[in-house]
Amino acid sequence: MSDEEHHFESSDAGASKTYPQQAGNIRKGGHIVIKGRPCKVVEVSTSKTGKHGHAKCHFVAIDIFTSKKLEDIVPSSHNCDVPHVNRTDYQLIDISEDGFVSLLTDNGSTKDDLKLPTDETLLTQLKSGFEEGKDIVVSVMSAMGEEQMCALKEVAPK
Amino acid sequence: MFNGTVGGGAEDLPQLQSTMRAIELACSYIQINTNPAAAEATILSLHQSPQPYKACRFILENSQVAAARFQAAAAIKEAAIREWSFLSTEDKGGLISFCLGYVMQHANSADAYVFSKVSSVAAQLMKRGWLEFTPAEKEVFFYQINQAILGSRGLDVQFIGIHFLESLVSEFSPSTSSAMSLPREFHENCRKSLEQNYLKTFYSWAQDAALSVTNKIVESNSDVPEVKVCNAALRLMHQILNWEFRYSKGGTKGSINVFSDGIRSDTASARKTEAVIVQPGASWCDVLVSSSHVGWLINLYSSLRQKFALEGYWLDCPVAVSARKLIVQLCSLAGEVFPSNNAQMREQHLLLLLSGVLPWIDPPDVISKEIEEGRSGSEMIDGCRALLSIATVTTPDVFDRLLRSIRPFGTLTLLSLLMGEVVKVLLANSNDEETWSYEARDILLDTWTTLLTSMDGSGGNAWLPPEGMHAAASLFSLIAESELKLASASATTDEDDSDCLASVSAMDERLGSYALIARAAVDATVPFLTKLFSDRVARLHQGRGTVDPTETLEEVYSLLLIIGHVLADEGEGETALVPDALQSHFVDVVEAGNHPVVLLSSSIVKFAEQCLDANMRSSIFSPRLMEAVIWFLARWSFTYLMLVENCNLGSNQLQSLPSRACLFTFFNEHNQGKFVLDIIVRISLTSLMSYPGEKDLQELTCHQLLHALVRRRNICFHLLSLDSWRNLANAFANDKSLFLLNGVSQRSLAQTLVLSAYGMRSSNASNQYVKDLMAHMTSSLVDLANNSDLKNLAQQPEIIMLVSCVLERLRGAASATEPRTQRAIYEMGLSVMNPVLRLLEVYKHESAVIYLLLKFVVDWVDGQISYLEAHETTGVVNFCMSLLQIYSSHNIGKISLSLSSTLLNEAKTEKYKDLRALLQLLSHLCSKDMVDFSSDSIETQSTNISQVVFFGLHIITPLITLELLKYPKLCFDYFSLISHMLEVYPETLAQLNSDAFNHVLTTVDFGLHQQDVDIVTMCLRALKALASYHYKETKDGNTGLGSHAAGHTDPNGVFREGILSRFLRTLLQFLLFEDYSTDLVSTAADALFPLILCEPNLYQGLGNELIEKQGNPNFKTRLANALQVLTTSNQLSSSLDRLNYQRFRKNLNNFLIEVRGFLKTK
Repeated sequence: MSDEEHHFESSDAGASKTYPQQAGNIRKGGHIVIKGRPCKVVEVSTSKTGKHGHAKCHFVAIDIFTSKKLEDIVPSSHNCDVPHVNRTDYQLIDISEDGFVSLLTDNGSTKDDLKLPTDETLLTQLKSGFEEGKDIVVSVMSAMGEEQMCALKEVAPK
Repeated sequence: MFNGTVGGGAEDLPQLQSTMRAIELACSYIQINTNPAAAEATILSLHQSPQPYKACRFILENSQVAAARFQAAAAIKEAAIREWSFLSTEDKGGLISFCLGYVMQHANSADAYVFSKVSSVAAQLMKRGWLEFTPAEKEVFFYQINQAILGSRGLDVQFIGIHFLESLVSEFSPSTSSAMSLPREFHENCRKSLEQNYLKTFYSWAQDAALSVTNKIVESNSDVPEVKVCNAALRLMHQILNWEFRYSKGGTKGSINVFSDGIRSDTASARKTEAVIVQPGASWCDVLVSSSHVGWLINLYSSLRQKFALEGYWLDCPVAVSARKLIVQLCSLAGEVFPSNNAQMREQHLLLLLSGVLPWIDPPDVISKEIEEGRSGSEMIDGCRALLSIATVTTPDVFDRLLRSIRPFGTLTLLSLLMGEVVKVLLANSNDEETWSYEARDILLDTWTTLLTSMDGSGGNAWLPPEGMHAAASLFSLIAESELKLASASATTDEDDSDCLASVSAMDERLGSYALIARAAVDATVPFLTKLFSDRVARLHQGRGTVDPTETLEEVYSLLLIIGHVLADEGEGETALVPDALQSHFVDVVEAGNHPVVLLSSSIVKFAEQCLDANMRSSIFSPRLMEAVIWFLARWSFTYLMLVENCNLGSNQLQSLPSRACLFTFFNEHNQGKFVLDIIVRISLTSLMSYPGEKDLQELTCHQLLHALVRRRNICFHLLSLDSWRNLANAFANDKSLFLLNGVSQRSLAQTLVLSAYGMRSSNASNQYVKDLMAHMTSSLVDLANNSDLKNLAQQPEIIMLVSCVLERLRGAASATEPRTQRAIYEMGLSVMNPVLRLLEVYKHESAVIYLLLKFVVDWVDGQISYLEAHETTGVVNFCMSLLQIYSSHNIGKISLSLSSTLLNEAKTEKYKDLRALLQLLSHLCSKDMVDFSSDSIETQSTNISQVVFFGLHIITPLITLELLKYPKLCFDYFSLISHMLEVYPETLAQLNSDAFNHVLTTVDFGLHQQDVDIVTMCLRALKALASYHYKETKDGNTGLGSHAAGHTDPNGVFREGILSRFLRTLLQFLLFEDYSTDLVSTAADALFPLILCEPNLYQGLGNELIEKQGNPNFKTRLANALQVLTTSNQLSSSLDRLNYQRFRKNLNNFLIEVRGFLKTK
């Protein structure tokens, strides 16, 4: 990664949290806002309003933070809101007792406001790796003002 | 658990009884579902115990529990098939006689399923011993059966005898035979022997049995027991005629002109209902034709018909159904069974059958009314089937003539009337699906198809007789009207068949048959269609803005589909010809403007052109109607637009007809062709730009219409000169609205535009055209990748969408690589190499983009690799390796944290798709060694492809977990690559480090235990390659696989044996003790042979171990002999040549037949 470049303060500061996109163009695996929640689309089907009407899209999507299933029907030529989803990698420094983790950011400071996952198996995966002394990178996903850990990866110790 | 080998005598009676009780108990436990696993284990242990025959016989004779008797019979079968090779001759015969005797003695008791089982066991054992029994031995059995069938021992025994023959015939027929773990050759020999020596005898026995009870049935007024025998005999005859006769055709079969006497043997293409042609050969003439067999059958059925009102008989009673089936089957009798010089005899035969069938279907209106009032439709449907069968074996002329001798009209007229009646009924109850009329319609349509396809392909000069043509025309107008009525009725229903392509392909078959009927009478049907179409269009215009057009729109939609089928055939990758019927008719037309086909086509093009007007679009051209318009234009233009003389015309004797010339010149480049082409391109652009979000319509436009246009080279030349095409290319490069198309359409559009570059006059111009077309896309990727704020920028949804679009387009362009444009596309890929790697980094969390990136590279490499010069190859290979490494570093050890199982599964699927793409990339790289168009000579080849590919495998195999190999496609790709690599470059494998080497071989081991025969075959081939490489190398004094094969002592001091020894063990275990398809034995032999040669000592040891384990001294000697024979017989020597492989295959087959039986016994 090109870290030598000097970063200004995040250039999309103040930018909107979502972006309009034609419903017919949102694909399986893409993102969409349904009922104010950022979701990942797991199924798209199209149908017509009456035989000679226009196409509409039927989305089944999963809230990327809560994993709840949501559905929506939109005429395919209309616009939908698509959330800005950012993912950032941090090195894991510590797991604290109070349910938070401490992460090292790219520019050397720490980030301590991220909660541990609540799910038991994920928690064990994270903790066991950490206790074995492996170097762990966690990916944090953020969208529409929320953030959550979404993946972790062991880095081979050098 | 059960020991069946104890000697005879009274003392083991208690033991037999206890076995019986155990089995009875187990059966009843299974029935009430108490502890079924244990019960099954008990029964299984009976099946697997050695020589359980005595216990089984005891159970069969004494048990009161039917299920226990059933299991005992099953156990006899399983054990006997397994142990057959070492049963004594008396035992073999004894078991069969026992089973036969058993069914005959107990013929009159209940529990029919036990008897079916026992008699099928007898049949299976008989087949197992078929080739070793002497004729005299068989004679003994068959004498017994013949006696039974003659009826001397009562009706029940007679029934059992017939029933046994039914089991026997089905056992000998390849499609219904049961597996005996013997080579196919065995089954083939049995089938041949039965067909040549017994089948006809069985048929006459069945005939005699049926005759002997006919009088009783005809004279009785109620259900008599003889009916059961008669039914069984009819079923047996039906089954025998179903036999796929092979050996009875004379030596002259090649030289018979099948059309000369009005008979034909072609099997018409796709039909819904099956009409198997019965061709038993000349020797059957006396039984089937010249005896009064058919007359007897017809009389039997007509006397049954009169009894339907009586008790015990009805239209669908078993004996009536069997009789009808046999009648239908006899209708399709053909071949040498009729003496070749006696066409009259055949027609007599068919006429006799037809007159018997006639009361079932004639008069059609009366019959259909009766059925609508509650009568069963099955007799009528059988009547339709009989017509289909007759149509299958006759030409239209003979078919039509048949009925004339007994009615004032021909058979075609009857067929038309009958189908018209069915279509009417169908229209009346269009709501419910499962009615008799659906089935009848399909069968009758098949009948037409069968009759008409023979004409369609025969040069266009075979016309129906005038009356038949009239019948076809009136039927077609009835069909078209009813289709339109159905369409307008369904216009408002909101069914989910919105996808035009899907609905077209579902209706395709039916519409195809309708089109054949229409083409049989084009003089009437084409003007008729023109009129229908102009009526509907006029109606649309009149009511515009005032009346709801939906019903008419739906009618136009259906009409477009019907007309499309009538005017043109589906090309399916071939050059579509103008249908013969349309070429050869309309002889009196001299002016193109008056040609009915031209008129019809022009009126549709003119109608379609109106969609360019925005007002018309909003009021008439709904997305669904546009789908039909685009579909029609695609199909039509492929057949009619700008024909090249002698290519789309086909060559036949019609060349000189003036009417035909009109048809061809009208739409060519000097006439209306260019004008129509321009309209079509403009319509395409409209459908892409003005119907936002209509995915189906746009896919149809890109895939079917535009793609069909550029596939024709001469059209490309004209396309490039059209302003409308330039507009399309311009919009593609610059217009935002085309970025809104979905991914697949983007790709296809890019491919189409690049392919059209063929129309440039020179290769340079073509390359320049492609360069200009794609420059905008590549530069946008390069700019993005060089942007200093890429990391933030890239995450924005609009950028993600832009990148996805551009990648889809690049991929489309890459897949259109042709020699003429190869340079431009190579440079296109070259310029985005670095951006691609940058983006791979940035989008590592955006799996959708990653997949597009990978697919683009895969398609680009696939198109380019064979053209590249050495230095270019190096660049591309390095690029691919960086790609693999970056991908791997991002994904190895990555764990997705999500609460949603759906999302986790998605993540797994995404990973699978990525890996599959990477494997494809490696396979494409491999192909460089096979196909290479570069100018370099072999020696200058600077990149060692095999090393590169193994290195690539080394990078990605850690990502391919055994879990992921459960995806069948990935599994297939992976193992085909592995087996290819091992077969072609075993020496490179030997150079791998031991981790990588072991990983590859662990997966091979995994693959050996897969269910899929293909996967196992590939693994076996890989093993063969590995072992034979090692053997040959070491024989020449080289190291071969070196330390991998030799085995080593690991740090804990435990000796790990070499790789070849491990596989020798695995393979032997597999062959001797596991279940597999017999098809695998030859491939396994090819792998086992070199393995044995590599590790002779281990093999010896394993053999001895096997022998030691065998408890029974008799088996011990047999096994030792068999092992000895395996490696010595057939002059097997220790060189790996084709001859030796062949010998070893044969040896292994015999070895397995000899020993697997007792080795598998527990």
